[in-house]
Amino acid sequence: MNSASTALTPSIFGNNNLCNRKWREISLPHSSPPPGNGVRLFVTKATSPSSSAPETDKKKKGQLKRKNKNKEKDDEKQDEDKIQASIQQQQQTDLSSSTSSVSAIKSTLDDVNPVGLGRRSRQIFDEVWRKFSGLGQISRTTRTEDDESGLLMREGGPMCEFAIPGAQNTTVLVVGATSRVGRIVVRKLMLRGYTVKALVRKADQEVVDMLPTSVDIVTGDVGESSTLKAAIEGCNKIIYCATARSSITGDLNRVDHLGVYNLTKAFQDYNNELAQLRAGKSSKSKLLIAKFKSADSLNGWEVRQGTYFQDLVVAKYDGGMDAKFEFTEDGDAVFSGYVFTRGGYVELSKKLSLPLGSTLDRYEGLVFSVGGNGRSYVVILETGPSADTSQSTMYFARISTKIGFCRVSLLTLSKGKQNSGATKISFYMFICTIFVLITFSLQIKNMHVLIPPFLYQVRVPFSSFRPVKPDDPPLDPFLVHTLTIRFEPRRQKPIEGPTGPKQDLRSFQLILEYVKALPTGQETDFILVSCTGSGIEPSRREQVLKAKKAGEDSLRRSGLGYTIIRPGPLVEEPGGQRALIFDQGNRISQGISCADVADICVKALHDSTARNKSFDVCYEYVAEPGKELYELVAHLPDKANNYLTPALSVLEKNT
Amino acid sequence: MASVLHAQLATPSKLNHSWRRTLAPDSLASTSSHSHSSSAATTSKGGGNVVSMPIIRCNAQAAPGAVNLAPGTPVRPTSILVVGATGTLGRQIVRRALDEGYDVRCLVRPRPAPADFLRDWGATVVNADLSKPETIPATLVGIHTVIDCATGRPEEPIKTVDWEGKVALIQCAKAMGIQKFVFFSIHNCDKHPEVPLMEIKNCTEKFLRDSGQNHIIIRLCGFMQGLIGQYAVPILEEKSVWGTDAPTRIAYMDTQDIARLTFIALRNENVNGKLLTFAGPRAWTTQEVITLCERLAGQDANVTTVPVSVLRLTRQLTRLFEWTSDVADRLAFSEVLTSDTVFSVPMNETYNLLGVDAKDIISLEKYLQDYFNNILKKLKDLKAQSKQTDIFF
Repeated sequence: MNSASTALTPSIFGNNNLCNRKWREISLPHSSPPPGNGVRLFVTKATSPSSSAPETDKKKKGQLKRKNKNKEKDDEKQDEDKIQASIQQQQQTDLSSSTSSVSAIKSTLDDVNPVGLGRRSRQIFDEVWRKFSGLGQISRTTRTEDDESGLLMREGGPMCEFAIPGAQNTTVLVVGATSRVGRIVVRKLMLRGYTVKALVRKADQEVVDMLPTSVDIVTGDVGESSTLKAAIEGCNKIIYCATARSSITGDLNRVDHLGVYNLTKAFQDYNNELAQLRAGKSSKSKLLIAKFKSADSLNGWEVRQGTYFQDLVVAKYDGGMDAKFEFTEDGDAVFSGYVFTRGGYVELSKKLSLPLGSTLDRYEGLVFSVGGNGRSYVVILETGPSADTSQSTMYFARISTKIGFCRVSLLTLSKGKQNSGATKISFYMFICTIFVLITFSLQIKNMHVLIPPFLYQVRVPFSSFRPVKPDDPPLDPFLVHTLTIRFEPRRQKPIEGPTGPKQDLRSFQLILEYVKALPTGQETDFILVSCTGSGIEPSRREQVLKAKKAGEDSLRRSGLGYTIIRPGPLVEEPGGQRALIFDQGNRISQGISCADVADICVKALHDSTARNKSFDVCYEYVAEPGKELYELVAHLPDKANNYLTPALSVLEKNT
Repeated sequence: MASVLHAQLATPSKLNHSWRRTLAPDSLASTSSHSHSSSAATTSKGGGNVVSMPIIRCNAQAAPGAVNLAPGTPVRPTSILVVGATGTLGRQIVRRALDEGYDVRCLVRPRPAPADFLRDWGATVVNADLSKPETIPATLVGIHTVIDCATGRPEEPIKTVDWEGKVALIQCAKAMGIQKFVFFSIHNCDKHPEVPLMEIKNCTEKFLRDSGQNHIIIRLCGFMQGLIGQYAVPILEEKSVWGTDAPTRIAYMDTQDIARLTFIALRNENVNGKLLTFAGPRAWTTQEVITLCERLAGQDANVTTVPVSVLRLTRQLTRLFEWTSDVADRLAFSEVLTSDTVFSVPMNETYNLLGVDAKDIISLEKYLQDYFNNILKKLKDLKAQSKQTDIFF
């Protein structure tokens, strides 16, 4: 018998009977070197932790004595199966009882002690009887109270259907742990072996009772960024399923918009802090490529013109083109102009100078913060030796920008400032407050003029760049040295909106705020449960969606790997019953069970296809005849099949 | 024996009248004390070996049209109560339910070491004891479905929990307007009235059917989980494995599969009031299971085979004396073992009814293989660790 395995097995299996438990206790400290040669088995078991060197001789004697005794017993062994088993039991009990006493000598004396003998024989009988009567059972597993922990360990380990390999090292912060989805998310995470932190506003008894006991409850409010630092500590992932309790604009903004913003910021801060401890840079932060905040920042950007056609005939149609890149007095960097020449283009180009030590291969794409009049542009990346541009290879990707101005969100922000300012100011400063309020309102009035255009982010993954010459190898971000943004009048689509039909598609205006590179990653960092808007009362739908949208946007531009789930109206019923539809583009109409949404959240944690995706999800439904516009991807959730990966792999990234 | 059960079965029907009159808990308490005394009176006669099907006249129609104690607040269909949640099957039921998004309440006996693992998973634990019926009603408030997977511990008298407790629970569920009651029984329990547990299960099935409570009865054959402690662990620890030479075959099933199927059945309105039997894909004898374990563990087992005749003889002997009648009850399954019964049913119909793919049900080979693979790997890791510490010291 291998002593190591014998010693270790009980600790794994969690034994059923008394003898074995004793055995476990003694056999664990067997790391002291075994003194005997032939009697190794017994030595291992008999070594008590308190044994010292002078006692070894005595002990050996004891062992020999017992060995003889065992030999005698060996002779009897041939008698009968039952007796054999009982003797084995006796040996075990013999050993365990003897070793639990301080020295081996004492234990040999115990052998002749009638009380000890009686006790031992009873133990043997109990054991034999337990086994014997166990034979008469069919489907009942007899189990004592004590081995509960052992069994649990086994079930929580490899044999547990829910256990996920990566779960043990992952701490998930669940925001909105008491919400309909959040409650189930927490349970699912616990079942899978994650460490869970729950952010709650108030940790009163009702809330504590609702959450599993080993969840780490943190008190805080997503609206107050100062309270989030403690919550985020030690977390690897965030699942955000909090939602505003009312549809009052202030409440919506606080939870659905600012809450997400604050949390992404706190998470990024925490990641940076960790990275600084390691004397490095957080792998989750973005890399700044260009920021246009002053007139100087425009240096190095070059405006060029060109045509695709080289023949002279075209010159006849040359209507001329012009472009300029300037820093306006409003504080915006604007690239604007017109291209009337057929086949002509204008472009804005810069040689990239990345900070020392960073290369673009650790990033997965570019994010442009832009505004303007809604034209589409071609982003061109050049790779190759930077000294000789004639050898460089060009890669392009098309981006389209949107038109729009956002006065409202800015105004509400300044209102928020007013309020917080007002509460802080004491009675003595009352008059000053009024003064401040007046200045604020004056500012707001001015702002109507000064309001910058609504800027938003366009994400372009490196994977979407195609080589200009189809034969060239795919883009290697490591080699990129030049970034170009090109406008061409080809393939421009008119935009619906207030600009009306008069718009000339050959003129353009592009406002640039920054260009950053997005960090790569395998998994999602932040899962946001948003909504599709169906099921909300129509009068408040717009406000709710606006807040949710703003929250989604702040998550997208944070640089964290994100997954935005927009479920249909939530239904409180068990999950896993009906097929689900994953879709993009706000076309779904059905509801979905809270449990299914929770399941998607948990599955998305370690699914690489879920990174940087936004999608709608609802129950499968039968489209009305004549309205089958798109192919439905329905997947039945179940523990065995991973429905999420195939469902999400067909959906677009960076949405 | 039959007379005992007969008397007990009669009591609830009599008591139903008082049940109908008031629903106050004190009447329930009197109910329990009454039935206690009657059972105490009758068990002394127990041990009689008259084996016949008792005629059950318990009609629980006494509580017509389920009295809803809280008409104002509708009960959410996701709220369930699991009785016997700490058991082998119960814990799987709880886990499955939590994962599917149910709000699970667990009825657990009050004891010094509380079942913390249930609370850790996110279930709510309430303390109550089926053998004390006055503790039951409070636990049923706001519950939509009751899943009963409780069985008395082997060391305690079988009737307190398995019969009286169950009767009280069913009556209570009926009175409090529980929408659905799931009861786990044993396969073939109607064919072996000589085994007390099976007889009780059979009577409970009948009582449930007659009570008018909306229910599902699920009969089970054997749990794969039980084999781990019985054969797999002793083989790995190189200890003697006890087996019988009984020709009985049991179609063992994974409790996780049972839990999964249970919830599918629970949500299927077509299953209401039906009796389902869940069996594993193949029926195994004890010898076959041991051989399989030996093969997978890669070592021979030290098998001690006890002939069934010995078991049977012991049972006969122990039945002679009153003070060993409990022992006799525990050995009662030997009667089943001697018969050439196969504990299995063809599952095709059930699969079709529930819409389950037979391929998704795990087989015993696969189950044990997974177990041994995992354990052997763990052992190897631990061995490597222990070697390292040896060098270190």
